[in-house]
Amino acid sequence: MKEGARNGARALVESLEKAGVEVLFGYPGGQALDIFNCLTDAKFPFVLGRHEQGCVHMADGYARSTGKPGVCLVTSGPGATNTITGLATANIDGIPLVVITGQVPMSLIGTDAFQEADTTGVARGVSKHCFLVQSADEIPEIVAEAFYIATHGKPGPVVIDIPKNCQQGLTAAQYPERVSLRAYHPESSATSSQLVKLAKLINEAKRPVIYAGGGVIASGAAGDVATLARRAGIPVATTLMGLGAFDEHDPLSLRMAGMHGTPAANWAMNEADLIVALGVRFSDRVTGKISKYAPKAKIVHVDCDPASIGKNVSAALGIVADVKDVLTTVLSRVKSATRPEWMAKIDGWKKSHPVSWEQMHPNVIMPQAVMEAIDKATKGRAVVVTDVGQHQMWAAQHFRYSIPRHFLTSGGMGTMGFGIPAAIGAAIARPDHKTVAVCGDGGAQMTFEEVVVAVEHKLPVTFVVINNGCLGMVRQWQELFYGKNYSGSILTVKGRAANERLEQDLKYDYLPDFVKLAQAHGAEAYRVIDPAKLDATIAKAIRSKRTTLVEVIVEPRANVYPMIPAGKPVSEMVFK
Amino acid sequence: MSEHTYRLSCYVENKPGVLARIVGLISGRGYNIQTLNVGPTEDGTVSRMKIDVLGTDRVVEQIILQLRNQVNVIEVSSRKI
Repeated sequence: MKEGARNGARALVESLEKAGVEVLFGYPGGQALDIFNCLTDAKFPFVLGRHEQGCVHMADGYARSTGKPGVCLVTSGPGATNTITGLATANIDGIPLVVITGQVPMSLIGTDAFQEADTTGVARGVSKHCFLVQSADEIPEIVAEAFYIATHGKPGPVVIDIPKNCQQGLTAAQYPERVSLRAYHPESSATSSQLVKLAKLINEAKRPVIYAGGGVIASGAAGDVATLARRAGIPVATTLMGLGAFDEHDPLSLRMAGMHGTPAANWAMNEADLIVALGVRFSDRVTGKISKYAPKAKIVHVDCDPASIGKNVSAALGIVADVKDVLTTVLSRVKSATRPEWMAKIDGWKKSHPVSWEQMHPNVIMPQAVMEAIDKATKGRAVVVTDVGQHQMWAAQHFRYSIPRHFLTSGGMGTMGFGIPAAIGAAIARPDHKTVAVCGDGGAQMTFEEVVVAVEHKLPVTFVVINNGCLGMVRQWQELFYGKNYSGSILTVKGRAANERLEQDLKYDYLPDFVKLAQAHGAEAYRVIDPAKLDATIAKAIRSKRTTLVEVIVEPRANVYPMIPAGKPVSEMVFK
Repeated sequence: MSEHTYRLSCYVENKPGVLARIVGLISGRGYNIQTLNVGPTEDGTVSRMKIDVLGTDRVVEQIILQLRNQVNVIEVSSRKI
């Protein structure tokens, strides 16, 4: 036997250690057994999820809250296919992951063997890159390349599919000192003429807006955005993914733009003569009707992904570069300014149309109040992880974010079921911060099984289930755009469409009972129905050192406003 | 915007899965590949692909940018035919 030889599974675990893995999330199975056999000696701990989708979302939550790649290990076939939603979620939001899947031995590939799936074939469209390992000798180098690809350029998920015979085969191959990929060189920087032009546009603008996205957070440029904004007196709007990139308590903050963004942010973009777009991709949820988007503005688009520039809007100046590098180098060319007229106009909009909501019934909790209670109880410093739907938008609107990586949400894919496992990953990554997961009753049921993981690991996460007895965002669209035909969106027994009607004499209207469900998973749980008890119950749960869940029964008719209907211009914003 | 046939010429690493990724990137957007020709270059580790695709300037430009983002794609050029 060659010196230093060990099997591929051992080489994999060593490589993960060398790559700096701090924690591995996953779920075992037949074609991953050789790897699992080596984990008990690994330098990093293993966290057992309860479903592979949950495992990937946990790794994703870890990655979003730290900026480091999240790592996940699952078996072949169904183990691998269960990761697809998690891969797509990370891929569209640019989150670095390395997902390792077991595969049937190479001799059985293509034979429809037990638990065989063409993993790289299925994962290709929802990942940044996929590797199918062909021999144990390749494993250390592929692991190094996977971590490099996941974290360089626009980050994203990378899949490594390892047939069982490669896990068992012997190899002396060592983890490479450095990675050099022949064809992939994503680093690019601004030219000096681009920087001169950018500074000139900023210095000459009368009504500029900085529009900051997830790329600002990914590149660690939040501080630089604040420096530029304050020096040049530029108000800052963010995307959903950009929440936390600029302090929302700052007078220059316009808060979130887009479909459910603030009127001030949307009107400022509509009136602006310059939009400095940093690490954004001009999602349709922000631009609305593209031909009417920011009609008076020159657009500067800075992004590390060349394919994102000019994809949705055409830019007067497109710069393919790291946002932080651009900001630090352009700053010395930018003149100090205060722009009192522009700011007065914006302050007028903020005063006339503040982010607000109305109590619909005196005895029923409004969902927006839940977010305000969480903000109050955590002094705005919680890591807020959301699921997807109405509560996600209320979480964006009614909590003021000030710290990068403190608002974790599935922005692009809109993956229900993301919240609970992602919060667990975030809580494992950041034990120094309070993690609060905000979920709806729909999404919470998709991945509730993962609550056990929080309890096992004694994570002081607070899960807040905002229960309106329906799939709120679907219901809202049906109310506004489909003639109140509530098809498939009502979870309570009462109020369903005729074709879904249930026996009316069921003992419960709301099912499941989230308090009992949480208790069955070992968590401390509370239900709150009375508006007068909301703040105290939320505060009590958040103070607890245990895993807690609060089920808040809220007004089912509450809608998310303001709203710019899909594909419409800013002028068609509706407020109630 | 009017559609033209473009001939994309891609130099890629000769590795399994590369052809599938490139074809998937084009077909996944609903565009039909009219002609596809893959062959070796003098350097056995590099393959050349010639792909004819019908699309607007904007769409083809996006496809090229996305192709260049792929880990195994060395170089992409295009011309109208």
